[in-house]
Amino acid sequence: MSEATARTRLGALGLVAPLVLFLALFFAWPLVSVLKESVSDPVGLRAFPATAEAALGWDRQSEPPIAMKQAFVEDLRAIDDQQLLGDAVRRLNSAQNGFRTLMSKTVRAAQEQSGPLDLVAVDKRWADVRFWRAVANSTYPYTDRNLLAALDYQRDAAGKVVALPAEASANTAILIRTLWIGAVVTIACALIGLPYAMLAASLTGWKRQLLLGAVLLPLWTSLLVRTAAWFILLQEKGLINDTLIGLGLIDGPLPLIFNRLGVVIAMTHVLLPFMVLPIYSVLLAIPKNLMPAAASLGAPPWRAFLRVLLPLSLRGVVSGSLLVFMTAIGYYITPALIGGAQDQMISSVIAFYALGSANWGMAGALGAILLVATLALYAVYGRLSSDRAGSL
Amino acid sequence: MAQSNIRFEQVNKSFGTLRVVDDLNLTIDQGEFLSLLGPSGSGKTTILMMLAGFESPTSGTISLGSQRIDQLPPYKRNMGVVFQNYALFPHMDVAANVAFPLEMRGIAKADIAEKVTRALDMVQLGTLKDRRPSQLSGGQQQRVALARALVFEPSVVLMDEPLGALDKQLREQMQLDIRALHRRLGLTIVFVTHDQSEALTMSDRIAVFNRGRIEQIGSPREIYDQPHSRFVAQFIGETNLVEGTLAENGQSGATVALPGGGTIRVQPSGAPQQSQKILVSVRPERIRLDKGGKTDNSYSATITDAVYHGDHLRIQLDGDAFGFIVKADRSRADRSRAEWSPGDRVTVSFSASDCWMLPA
Amino acid sequence: MRLIDVARLLFGVFAVLFLIAPLIAILPLAFTSSIFLTYPIPDYSLRWFRELAVADAWRLSIVNSLIVGTGTTILAGVLGTMAALGLRNSGLILPGLFRTAFLLPMVVPAVVLGVGMQVFFVQIGFANSYAGVICAHTVVAVPFVVVSVSASLAGIDRRVERAALSLGASPLTVFRRVTLPLALPGILSGAVFAFATSLDEVVLTLFVAGPNQRTLARQMFSTIRENISPAIAAAAFLFIVGTLLVAAIALLIRSRSTQPKTPA
Repeated sequence: MSEATARTRLGALGLVAPLVLFLALFFAWPLVSVLKESVSDPVGLRAFPATAEAALGWDRQSEPPIAMKQAFVEDLRAIDDQQLLGDAVRRLNSAQNGFRTLMSKTVRAAQEQSGPLDLVAVDKRWADVRFWRAVANSTYPYTDRNLLAALDYQRDAAGKVVALPAEASANTAILIRTLWIGAVVTIACALIGLPYAMLAASLTGWKRQLLLGAVLLPLWTSLLVRTAAWFILLQEKGLINDTLIGLGLIDGPLPLIFNRLGVVIAMTHVLLPFMVLPIYSVLLAIPKNLMPAAASLGAPPWRAFLRVLLPLSLRGVVSGSLLVFMTAIGYYITPALIGGAQDQMISSVIAFYALGSANWGMAGALGAILLVATLALYAVYGRLSSDRAGSL
Repeated sequence: MAQSNIRFEQVNKSFGTLRVVDDLNLTIDQGEFLSLLGPSGSGKTTILMMLAGFESPTSGTISLGSQRIDQLPPYKRNMGVVFQNYALFPHMDVAANVAFPLEMRGIAKADIAEKVTRALDMVQLGTLKDRRPSQLSGGQQQRVALARALVFEPSVVLMDEPLGALDKQLREQMQLDIRALHRRLGLTIVFVTHDQSEALTMSDRIAVFNRGRIEQIGSPREIYDQPHSRFVAQFIGETNLVEGTLAENGQSGATVALPGGGTIRVQPSGAPQQSQKILVSVRPERIRLDKGGKTDNSYSATITDAVYHGDHLRIQLDGDAFGFIVKADRSRADRSRAEWSPGDRVTVSFSASDCWMLPA
Repeated sequence: MRLIDVARLLFGVFAVLFLIAPLIAILPLAFTSSIFLTYPIPDYSLRWFRELAVADAWRLSIVNSLIVGTGTTILAGVLGTMAALGLRNSGLILPGLFRTAFLLPMVVPAVVLGVGMQVFFVQIGFANSYAGVICAHTVVAVPFVVVSVSASLAGIDRRVERAALSLGASPLTVFRRVTLPLALPGILSGAVFAFATSLDEVVLTLFVAGPNQRTLARQMFSTIRENISPAIAAAAFLFIVGTLLVAAIALLIRSRSTQPKTPA
């Protein structure tokens, strides 16, 4: 490599480096934090640091070593954060029933006496290896509990993955609802977007400009402004209801807002440009003489449409659908403002766990699922749009 | 067999105020290979598009045999069309492309397969059935387009500059192939091109278009040897045009007087009147240099430039009476002088039968 | 007129209405005198604009949006332009990887990123600060700058720069006198995009901003959610006017730069 080449390389790297560092710090690291939160379980380790160290040498089958038992007692004596202790006990109890009473007894005993403590004398259960195993396991700082819970599963006492009881299972329903709303919005966008793009591509002059402008204008307008606008149109005394009542088509106002219908309408409006633009660009790339060719070969207009134009525009529909679906499943603002309680999507639940109840584990687990789904869709989208040139 | 020739009668086509086709009257015989030749914007493609049904005439009628077709939609005209850049369907493989017109005609699956095979064999593409158009070379795509336009056995095939995108060698091969197909299948072919040599080699007749009108229609030989106008003479091939006045036009021959003195003996022609201003056209390859013996016309001139073209030399001359371009065929006798160089004095000669009169 | 043409016309009219009508419907309500965000408008007044100027919550949020928007525009503009220049350089290794990485913030769901930023910002003491909000907004704004500057750089004929070099300009002079002026339209529109993105950002703001960094969009979000009033329409009006103004300024600068527009 010549010196000049080396210098250009270095120059290029120097130019991209600031953004790379910035994104590593403020983009990649936060996403890693989300993933880490989803599997991290620091309570046990923080509550029983000495026990954790002592448990490293134990095989978890035989009688635990004395040193570990004494380390546990020392840890109990050292805890002065009652909240931490409470969290730790809850954590232990969820793994092994009986820890609640056992721990209150043991903590009391540890604090009343000093020096070595015969735990089995305090409570016979300390002779049971299962309890020690639970203590040792709790000091492991990682868990799949949140990820399982995000899909409505848990581990039972034996460590097997089982479904949560129905009354505690809300997340699967919300995930399915998210996918369902995303799918409905995607289909609505495709049903409007495909003919719209075809119409725009078939027109010329100001008519085409008008149609394209009508797509680009919302794209340029604030999402909040658009959502507020739909609020005005859809509300009980909104323009749509007023107009319909004024025309005598309905007697009372239709419920258009704070329900699924409103969310789908507003989201379709917001996401329609992402459907129209990819289809439009695919349509423009179709050679102009294919439809005349089909006609000259004996295809009436509708058959030429079905056999030539539609299949060729499908690639745009697929790209657009991926883009719309990918964006839709991550949507937060529109459902939060236009939807009712039954229309909240996974993002709302994540926001609730993070902002409302400071449950980072669950927020992280649901976030990880959404992130993986979105990136997978994006990868498919990227693959599709990169080999477009090859096959058209 | 009932004659089903194509007739254009008083056909006009305007886009806005622009008249693209001006009072076209043209009959194309069944089985004829007719080239529509002209510069771009001369209306030739519009005429083809009207015949195919993609444009309708502003006025006038087009008919095929006894049927008037100018109001018929393109998919009911049953004419094969080969488009510029082929217009193959990129999402279908070769076989599906060729099967398309058969499918549109509701032909049974088994028959389709057989006809497709036959059509592809005809253009020597039997082995490439499953390829996508994007996987084919330009020449192969061209053959697929041809097979697709012929597979439903239309009696009329329209071709819109079909060879324009091919390189020279491939183009010449395809010209031969298309001519062979034309003869073998007895097709009527209407072929649009702006390439005069293509038109000359392939056609039964050529219609030369200029500004929406037919300048001349006739066999390639007529068009080349007996052009009716300065436009045709200059558009088809290369020619030397000399201005003069018709001095004598008799049975034995005609004489044209040149403005700077001197005369040219020319082929007699019925049309021009005596003492009329006319043009004389002499093709460069009909002119001899330094040839002894008796000829109708001979002049002395100075070579101003001689350019080597491989099979011929292109020599520019400045005569006393007029300038000339001569194509000296290198196999001919005038090769006797190994090299022509600028400044040489030479004698230029050509026979009266190679001189054709045009209206000025 | 054939049936199919009627259908096309009707569809076109309805689709355009669907896209445009909501945006038009909101504007007149900014001037209502009523306390309800509904039609008909009883009387026209500027009371809701006064409300925006007088009420502390609104005034503060507008000021905050300008601060954060300006900071984001500068940071994203500089980082994004540099990166786009680097991406154009043929010496860059794995350009595809870098390009994808720079676009990824547009793809990742905002709520997920917000949770991560909240966790991370608390750890590094960045939470509830202007710097934190500006960095968060820059993450989502910078892809627009990269895309826009890259597009205008792609339109520059390499031969023009080579010509300048052959005429004796140093690489730095070529950059300053040739490349930069030609890329300016892209940089400007990237900056407009960055500002507009920051102005419109709600989700990340919810996670990383404290009460003192409440932006206009954030304020609109809670107003729509909690006590909707025509102040929303007035704010929306400002939003639209603001976006158009910034775009107009960018267009003006672009047209004043004497460089002919290179086709992209």
